[in-house]
Amino acid sequence: MTTRKAVLRVGVLLVAVAALAAVVISMVSAQNAPAWIAQDENWAASKQKLQAFGERFETSEALYEALKQGAGGGKPLTWQQMAEPAYDWSGIYTRAKGGLHFDPDLRPGSGPDSAKLTPAGQQVVKAKADQIARTGGEYDPISDCRPPGTPRWFTEPFLHEFIVTPAQTWLINEMVNDVRRVYTDGRDHTPAADAYPTWNGDTIGFWDGETLVAHTRYLSSGQYQRGVQPNYSDKTTVVERWHKIDPKALQADVWVFDPINLEKPWYTRQGWTRLTNDDRQLRIRYWDCRENPNNSIITTESGTSQFPDFDFVPNDGDVSTDAAVKKAGKK
Amino acid sequence: MKTLMIVFALTAVAIPGIPVEAHHSGAMFDDKKEVTLTGVVKAFQYTNPHSWLLVDVKGPDGKVTTWGFEAEGPSTLTRAGIRISDFTPGTPITITGHPMRDGRPAATWIKATRTTDKKEFVPQAGFAIR
Repeated sequence: MTTRKAVLRVGVLLVAVAALAAVVISMVSAQNAPAWIAQDENWAASKQKLQAFGERFETSEALYEALKQGAGGGKPLTWQQMAEPAYDWSGIYTRAKGGLHFDPDLRPGSGPDSAKLTPAGQQVVKAKADQIARTGGEYDPISDCRPPGTPRWFTEPFLHEFIVTPAQTWLINEMVNDVRRVYTDGRDHTPAADAYPTWNGDTIGFWDGETLVAHTRYLSSGQYQRGVQPNYSDKTTVVERWHKIDPKALQADVWVFDPINLEKPWYTRQGWTRLTNDDRQLRIRYWDCRENPNNSIITTESGTSQFPDFDFVPNDGDVSTDAAVKKAGKK
Repeated sequence: MKTLMIVFALTAVAIPGIPVEAHHSGAMFDDKKEVTLTGVVKAFQYTNPHSWLLVDVKGPDGKVTTWGFEAEGPSTLTRAGIRISDFTPGTPITITGHPMRDGRPAATWIKATRTTDKKEFVPQAGFAIR
């Protein structure tokens, strides 16, 4: 055997071993993916397990791929399955608990949050706390009816509808007529060269039995909610596992990855409760700030919020003690 | 109208603040104060993201001031059992809210009581899950 052939054989062998190792590692990761965990009396320990699972992955893409391999690539749904209880997500829901906290396990009004923040992320939170302590308020960017965006989407407390079809699942938020589309027809993300950030990004997914697994990227930056909660950057990506746990409840494991604001992925279990609607008067209605001029909001010089000009007050600028109103609302 | 009698009580009583605002910070309202007024409904603006109940209130000098009481949008009000038809123009009510800090006649709507049947309407009840 010539030296050249020997080197070639060794090279081929090394490549084969590396490929085998990659497959084994990914299979091990996939095999260790925790199955859906009920939120029972052991939830604190289960939550730590799910947080630790997320922390095993450098990226959300790696986490998503591990879940996909664990599901054998996932199995497409059929229209016949839509009538099965596991995929019938019809009804009107609202957030089950958590108030406006991104982590529903935190008590409303409590803090700090459970995210493992980078120094940059901590600085943002501190600045918000300082702003609120100094002025008593803040200006929320969605005050002009722009979309809350994802991951803030999970925290909005109003009505939701969820529609499962074989090719797409629609996650609907009453607020600003907002729809997240999860493509489950096998497509990949928009190529990076053709992508741009949007409020809800681009979401693809697959079905692992009765669990919808989704991956989102190309998100716009935003904040998880008002108050002393972190921001997220446009580098944020999200992995979700959605599951109908009983006829009145949907839940989702959510792992948020953000290299700018989060040291570690932030795991939370989000939940929605189906509301009774016996008289069928409850329905989602159009949401537009321009429908009523009294819902117009401006930011003040101190960075808080104010109504500039009520239609039931003939002389806002004369009555108000706020300089922002005197400037904006004087007729 | 007899029911135009005014009860105006601005108190500095500490009240637990509840974040009610759907799409904006509540910085403009003083959640440590309450105002209670009696008047008649001028209009019920049943809109997203917030509804506004406009109430005409006659002062001691006989001058009528229109107050606006902000509540959540139609879905939360529906869940609270508050319909447009509950507050048709001219309905006499007594209403309590957290007033604005800047002196304008507006407040968050905590509780309204219809004078005729004493029925109470609490928008925050719409957040109860049932």
